[in-house]
Amino acid sequence: MSSLCLNRLQEERRQWRKNHPFGFYARPQRGSDGIDLRQWSCGIPGKEKTLWEGGLFKLEMVFPEEYPTKPPKCKFVPPLFHPNVYPSGTVCLSILNEDEGWKPAITIKQILLGIQDLLDDPNPESPAQAEAYNLFKKDRTAYDKRIRALVKENQAT
Amino acid sequence: MTRAGRDKFAQKSLGGLHRNIKQAKCLMVGAGGIGCELLKNLVLTGFGEIHIVDLDTIDLSNLNRQFLFGRQHIKKPKALVAKETASRFNPNTKLTAHHANIKDSNFNVAWFKSFTIVFNALDNLDARRHVNKMCLAADVPLIESGTTGFNGQVQVISKAVTECYDCTTKPIPKSFPVCTIRSTPSQPIHCIVWAKSYLFNELFGASEDEVPEFDHSEDTDNAQEIKNLRQEAQELKRIRETLGQPEFAQNVFEKVFNKDITRLLEMKDMWKNRKPPAPLSFTSLSRGSLSSCPSDQRIWTPEENLWVFCDSLDRLSLRILGLKSMGEDLLLSFDKDDEDKLDFVAASANLRSQVFDIGCQSKFNIKQMAGNIIPAIATTNAITAGICVMQAFKVLKQKIKDARMVFLSMSGDRGLITEPLRTPNPSCQICGVARLDFECDTSKIQLQEFIKVVLQDVFEYSPSISILHDKLIYDEEYDDNLDASFENLGITDGSFLTILDESDDDQPRRVNLIVQIKTRSPSEPEKSFVIPHRIDIPMKQAQPPSLDSLVLSGKDFGRNNSPHVSNEVEQSRKRKAEDTLDSNQEPSKKVKAEGEIIIIDDGYIEID
Repeated sequence: MSSLCLNRLQEERRQWRKNHPFGFYARPQRGSDGIDLRQWSCGIPGKEKTLWEGGLFKLEMVFPEEYPTKPPKCKFVPPLFHPNVYPSGTVCLSILNEDEGWKPAITIKQILLGIQDLLDDPNPESPAQAEAYNLFKKDRTAYDKRIRALVKENQAT
Repeated sequence: MTRAGRDKFAQKSLGGLHRNIKQAKCLMVGAGGIGCELLKNLVLTGFGEIHIVDLDTIDLSNLNRQFLFGRQHIKKPKALVAKETASRFNPNTKLTAHHANIKDSNFNVAWFKSFTIVFNALDNLDARRHVNKMCLAADVPLIESGTTGFNGQVQVISKAVTECYDCTTKPIPKSFPVCTIRSTPSQPIHCIVWAKSYLFNELFGASEDEVPEFDHSEDTDNAQEIKNLRQEAQELKRIRETLGQPEFAQNVFEKVFNKDITRLLEMKDMWKNRKPPAPLSFTSLSRGSLSSCPSDQRIWTPEENLWVFCDSLDRLSLRILGLKSMGEDLLLSFDKDDEDKLDFVAASANLRSQVFDIGCQSKFNIKQMAGNIIPAIATTNAITAGICVMQAFKVLKQKIKDARMVFLSMSGDRGLITEPLRTPNPSCQICGVARLDFECDTSKIQLQEFIKVVLQDVFEYSPSISILHDKLIYDEEYDDNLDASFENLGITDGSFLTILDESDDDQPRRVNLIVQIKTRSPSEPEKSFVIPHRIDIPMKQAQPPSLDSLVLSGKDFGRNNSPHVSNEVEQSRKRKAEDTLDSNQEPSKKVKAEGEIIIIDDGYIEID
């Protein structure tokens, strides 16, 4: 087990506890004999004044051994209806790509805020699922309706 | 040659050092490319005792450079054969072979401590890091080495005196973005990674896209949508269930080379600036009739690809069914040396290349790319192994200040470039720590006892600490485990605990304390642990490594024996000249940092 990876994740946990954005949660998985810092359960609220407002979407973050050199894998559970989310739930976002925007200095907070931005501002350049993408491109009214239903299904409590 | 004769020459050329060498007990980790050369050198130099550890067995492809092995040794353990062959070079050297993983728990700190010096002749980052850590914990000098193609590197590591292996950031092999692999491949390698890491695993291995079950009322729009998504993700899984049936190959083919491609085509924006893919149809392609797999040296025709695709799927299916009938439900994982798997990956990658109009590759090339094979050169290994021994002489003479960091390269004015060794990086999280041996009965000692009596009473830690094992076992807001014994937390003999000082950011913080657990024999008096002597735990220098100050590390990089020299590493190595051990000496020209010694390798690919 790389101590670099764990030391950094514990520091992330500390920083998150001290200060995190309103409406979000992020916590590493508890087991019977300790906390697995490499698996976090997170919740991302829809942004205010957007279609997504009022919803809370569950996401799992899995950190590879090589973190923070490599980015964590972020996956909506259950998979989310969104043009940039793969059918498996995996998020396709530049800052989560080692080749593009990922930098070891990016914090968990920044990742979650980035994904929150993506919710209402999909990137049509890199579609990840056909259904949400096609609806988004072809029938915005139906797309919006779908999002509203989705928010209803995933109310922040 | 007689014993006396053998010693006479060594004595003459080595002088007083000869005795040290005869008495030295050394450990060589890895008996591959560098290891074979190094073992020969060590034995012929007259080292007294050598332990060899290697978990690998000999493969035909090793024989062009690992000269301790011959054709008759294929499939035998490297460590044992290396010992056997090298023992004939010098009967005075005592050799012990371990066909085992150096990370096994019996190779603990006490075992490392029994050696005078350790040589790393490894091929991967993980094992290198492990040995580095163990040598620091045991305070045994380490000669670290690596090669890639024409480039080689040797580094001497000694606790608290020199940099350790992890004092500089090591670039990690790059992985491709999932979008490139799954939707928009543009190079043959993207298709190879897709075939090897996605398709192969979905059909025969552990699926990446496990869609978790969740309950849902079926009467809403959303439920329908989620169902669709789930279906899409599970299509391959359902096809996997038809494994063994005659239409299996066709099902797979239609799914990945037709249906999925047609779906991708629907996303019109994606193909605005790219050439759109062309779906293939199973029935319109003629399969041809071959009796065996075509040559691996030339590029196959579309018919040959289809034939190999179907044939390899049949072969793999038979294997899976065979395992199943024996009651085993084994998952397969890709292995470049397994012909059935390689054939499947080669044919699938080429069919996908056809879909996206990317050039196809020969099976031979695909093996190299899929297996991350980096060409290894016997001469580079031999020179590097020689340098290892020269550096070891300096360590054995207690003249570590004379030891140098050595780089071997083909480019530039000189083949060999040396640099003074550097002092430890104070912010290194591996060697910039305090270390403590802690003797206890792991079945008796409770976590809270350890925190209270040891950390707080003896070391005067504040309550703001956290304790890491493989997991986080304690911090200020997580006290579930206080009553648990070490044993119940999975802490055993040889385990390492990391104690982090979590005082507020504006307070000075201590460096991490690494506690190594040693079990007491149950026959000892009833006390569950021995109160350790207080050691001094230094404060962290200046700023604690805040999250924002972490440096972005380098680019793609050679993996196998790779010496980890690159532009980026050199940049991050740029520490002040005073940092070197011998500050009178000018550090040599930064190893031509601006770009001559760069190890370029675009072979290593990994997908998340």
